[in-house]
Amino acid sequence: MAYAYLFKYIIIGDTGVGKSCLLLQFTDKRFQPVHDLTIGVEFGARMITIDGKQIKLQIWDTAGQESFRSITRSYYRGAAGALLVYDITRRDTFNHLTTWLEDARQHSNSNMVIMLIGNKSDLESRREVKKEEGEAFAREHGLIFMETSAKTASNVEEAFINTAKEIYEKIQEGVFDINNEANGIKIGPQHAATNASLSGNQGGHTSGGCC
Amino acid sequence: MYLLRGVMGAQSAGPQPSGAETVQKLCDRVASSTLLDDRRDAVRALKSLSRKYRLEVGSQAMEHLVNVLQTDRSDVEIIGYALDTLHNIMSNEMDEPDDSEEENSQSQTDDLGSQFTEIFIKQQENITLLLSYLEEFDFQVRWPGVKLVTTLLKQQGPAVQQIILVSPMGVSRLMDLLADSREVIRNDGLLLLQQLTKGNAAIQKIVAFENAFERLLDIITDEGNSDGGIVVEDCLILLQYLLKNNNSNQNFFKEGSYIQRMKPWFEVGDDNTGWSAQKVTNLHLMLQLVRVLVSPMNPPGATSSCQKSMFQCGLLQQLCTILMATGVPADILTETINTVSEVIRGCQINQDYFASVNAPSNPPRPAIVVLLMSMVNERQPFVLRCAVLYCFQCFLYRNQKGQGEIVATLLPSTIDANAVSAGQLLCGGLFSVDSLSNWCAAVALAHALQGNATQKEQLLRVQLATSIGNPPVSLLQQCTNILSQGDKINRRGSKIQTRVGLLMLLCTWLSNCPIAVTHFLHNPSNVPFLTAQISENLGEEEQLVQGLCALLLGICIYNNDNSLENYTKEKLKQLIEKRIGKENFTEKLSFIPKHELYSKAAQKPQPNFSSPDHMMFDHEFTKLVKELEVVIIKAIYKSTEEDKKEEEVKKTLEHHDNIVTHYKNVIREQDLQIEELKQQVMALNSQNEQFQVTVTQQLSQIQQHKDQYNLLKIKQGKDNQLHSSHVEGAQINGIQSEEMIRLREEIEELRKEQDILQGQLAEKDGLIANLKSAQPEVRTERSPPEGVPADGSSENAMELYKELEALRSQIQAQSLEINGLQTERQELLHKIETVTAASALASGDSTAVAASKVAELEERLVASLKETNSLKDEVKTLSEEKSALKQQVDSSNSTAAISQNENKKLEQMLADSKKEQDDLLILLADQDQKLTALKNKLKELGEPVEDEDDLESGDQGDDDVESGDQGDEDDEKEELEED
Ligand SMILES: Nc1nc2c(ncn2[C@@H]2O[C@H](COP(=O)(O)OP(=O)(O)OP(=O)(O)O)[C@@H](O)[C@H]2O)c(=O)[nH]1
Ligand SMILES: [Mg+2]
Repeated sequence: MAYAYLFKYIIIGDTGVGKSCLLLQFTDKRFQPVHDLTIGVEFGARMITIDGKQIKLQIWDTAGQESFRSITRSYYRGAAGALLVYDITRRDTFNHLTTWLEDARQHSNSNMVIMLIGNKSDLESRREVKKEEGEAFAREHGLIFMETSAKTASNVEEAFINTAKEIYEKIQEGVFDINNEANGIKIGPQHAATNASLSGNQGGHTSGGCC
Repeated sequence: MYLLRGVMGAQSAGPQPSGAETVQKLCDRVASSTLLDDRRDAVRALKSLSRKYRLEVGSQAMEHLVNVLQTDRSDVEIIGYALDTLHNIMSNEMDEPDDSEEENSQSQTDDLGSQFTEIFIKQQENITLLLSYLEEFDFQVRWPGVKLVTTLLKQQGPAVQQIILVSPMGVSRLMDLLADSREVIRNDGLLLLQQLTKGNAAIQKIVAFENAFERLLDIITDEGNSDGGIVVEDCLILLQYLLKNNNSNQNFFKEGSYIQRMKPWFEVGDDNTGWSAQKVTNLHLMLQLVRVLVSPMNPPGATSSCQKSMFQCGLLQQLCTILMATGVPADILTETINTVSEVIRGCQINQDYFASVNAPSNPPRPAIVVLLMSMVNERQPFVLRCAVLYCFQCFLYRNQKGQGEIVATLLPSTIDANAVSAGQLLCGGLFSVDSLSNWCAAVALAHALQGNATQKEQLLRVQLATSIGNPPVSLLQQCTNILSQGDKINRRGSKIQTRVGLLMLLCTWLSNCPIAVTHFLHNPSNVPFLTAQISENLGEEEQLVQGLCALLLGICIYNNDNSLENYTKEKLKQLIEKRIGKENFTEKLSFIPKHELYSKAAQKPQPNFSSPDHMMFDHEFTKLVKELEVVIIKAIYKSTEEDKKEEEVKKTLEHHDNIVTHYKNVIREQDLQIEELKQQVMALNSQNEQFQVTVTQQLSQIQQHKDQYNLLKIKQGKDNQLHSSHVEGAQINGIQSEEMIRLREEIEELRKEQDILQGQLAEKDGLIANLKSAQPEVRTERSPPEGVPADGSSENAMELYKELEALRSQIQAQSLEINGLQTERQELLHKIETVTAASALASGDSTAVAASKVAELEERLVASLKETNSLKDEVKTLSEEKSALKQQVDSSNSTAAISQNENKKLEQMLADSKKEQDDLLILLADQDQKLTALKNKLKELGEPVEDEDDLESGDQGDDDVESGDQGDEDDEKEELEED
């Protein structure tokens, strides 16, 4: 499939908050009730449309467990967007957000769009973190915020798509350098042709791939 | 400075020191010298000794070299020497092949490198330090750095990988090497990345995340694909490391649309002679990379999505072209066949495509036939024959259609005598004197039957013509005939191979096919043969055959439908007990899975044998054995009663199954029906909507008619209101609106005219009054009508006055008449009245008949009321029809026709009303004439009135123009003033 842009995302947050489930819901429209601990990172992809343009999302779902932290750090730099996830039924996952955010800010490029996600919104009866608290944290740190449920799929699409919209806007504003792939953004093949003169790196990009 | 040089100089001048001493001195110098030049010289000296005195330099200098790396960062030269020295002591590669002295210590050096590496990496910071030097752009530093890290990875892979993995951005930095424009560094960077990613999924993923696929594919393209040099090879090896057994990366590769970029790799030309060794190597790796993506060992979903994209982007087609091309080296051809096999395996579209591929021979032959020819051809290389078998297996894997097509080539009804068919080739192979062909053909045929009950039954129909004069023999019979010859058969190669092949075919054929079992048992010599084989005490060689015979007999029991009285389940079980013994039978059966070649075949689908002798088991067959072993043993040990019970259970289950199947069918049918009905409902719904619209329209029309009728009833005299209601009606009724508008305009015109006339009348009234008052003074101003003298007495004036009075009343009557006529006209317009007396009215003397006309009009009004009533009835019927229509709307189209008829009627009525309108217009014209006549009369009486009129209107027009001009002039003036 031809795309106008390709964005790289990472999903981060404590173990068990539902990162893999969010990805699975987004790519396969399925829910996985058993906690399948992620080892290292797992890859997923999907095409979305923004502003009439096809945008390919490549998503790296990272392991939340402490022992994988150093591995997952390798993924910050090349990502254009990050979904920082906590579990609304576990306050500790909310309390750890600051650490996650520091880590992300330290290792990522400064333009990375971060979407704060309070997951498991379907478990209202077991809620430990108020929606307002999530909103306040996001406001304080300049993040976008949403509550989602990987189980009911509520707001899952929106979370991924709104992040992409934010990135897309930043591109329109010229904040992102789209010719530097290290930013986690790539122009699609049909667009690359028109930008070839700008990128001028050994002409490698213009060859091959039809889509 | 001088002092130091003196010391060094003195030392070197002394007696020749040992290697260890020299190294020690150099180390001291590196450690103690405060002078960079000095330290640099010493490190250079260490470097030159590092091969010859590897142990000494390694054990004594490592620490000092690390120190240099830490402290002398600014001097690229000394750093370069230090890195080189470290590389020399840790690398086992002997760069100097003429170094014969070292030969004895060769095995020891292998350990040395690894041990020094172990020591070096104990300090994790050392690796971090090295990684930081890889960011140094200077060639003198970067290149030895790359080589050193590569060596460390080679010596202590997992440990070094772990350290790099946890050091911040470690992997990402190493990825940057691929972007180095200096080819040496890029190429050595490739080697480094190979070592880095080898066997470490986490690193493989990070490297992929860092756009490795893109970069590597770019390099391969830039280097000319398979025509490229060793760099292409290195890229391909790295790609393989990144993808093999790494599902996440495979998914990323597929999602990144990189499969499409592999297609040009296989665009080899027509002339395939004289391929370089490098090209062969590259293509080999390229083919293997395709196989990595579609390996049968990958998760099924992953493989099938890659298979699909390989077809969609034309990669499979490209591979098939190579398959059928000439001059392709044998090992590339073999690997291409294996690759095609895995690209089509279990993927219906790809299998269908493969079945359609033709060899460019004359006449064109299906690729499958051409390949099978090689499989049963003894002169073809063994690996190629195995590859063809694999390809055939993959073609038939989960491909009922393909299985049917292959078996069909053997059936009497569909056999094509003119062309070589797959079936012919398989039968030829099955009964040839080459045991390998026997085995391959038997396994290939078994795959045409795998999990396909229909084909198992179909194959029973196959008859073979053995020799002229003898009756044909069934394929099944021929197989058992050969088997019964035991090892007395005449074969080139392993006789066991032939028999194992045939037995595997029979087991596959008979399993889950009671009819085939019956056919088999029908031949009275078969069971005795099997029992004899199993019960005999034969050598180790025969054990496998015995095991397979036991399996076959077991299948004959397990899948027996008791249709042959002599060979019912029960009787066969008794036979085993008597002739063989249950224990013995079980033991013989267990020979199969115990066989060493069995477990190898069970590992993966590809028939991969180190030598032709090892070609014993087929992968799919091992699955069958696993499945049957337990159930057969159970069946043998079960008592008759249990058997019966089970039979009953089976029957009830079957019954239930039947019921379920029945219901499933019912549900399926109902599903279809529901689908159909849904569509019908949808169609009807939209029809209904249309009708609803029509009905609503007509209802509103009816309502209008009703309203109009009501109005008419109430307001016989109040034309204005009627008129306005008509206007409303016209607005609502879309069909008649155009005409109504036109009529309205006409009415408006007529009204205006009437207004004018009334105005004139009023003027004339005024005039008459003037005349009246002026009479005493002015007597002869106007010429009197009808010969009355212009000048004269008051009598004359009185007469004149009377006459005027009469005229006035006449005019008033006429104006009344006009009003009445207008009303009438409106009524006629709306109520579609037939005006019959119009002409009579028009011709009548208006002044005299005014009263009678009113009466007449009243009469006509009554008539029109009557008509309206009938119209109302009509309207009622219409509305009844409409409600009927509404009810029938779902099923009936005829209602539409009715409503259309109604519409037509209405239209007709409209036309009538138009006609009436025309009549009225004529009437009005007459009235006009009359009015003109009256006007003329008036003119005779008072011309100035008429003139005054004309003048007034003329003045007004002039005024307008003048005021407009005035404005323009003003503007111009203003402009001029401004200028
Ligand atoms: N009720 C509910 N359960 C959820 C939701 N999302 C995830 N879960 C459950 O939470 C558990 C953890 O989900 P995962 O997606 O595997 O968690 P993770 O964040 O990927 O964890 P790590 O891989 O260890 O980092 C699973 O048992 C999920 O079924 C949700 O929205 N609602
Ligand atoms: Mg996970």
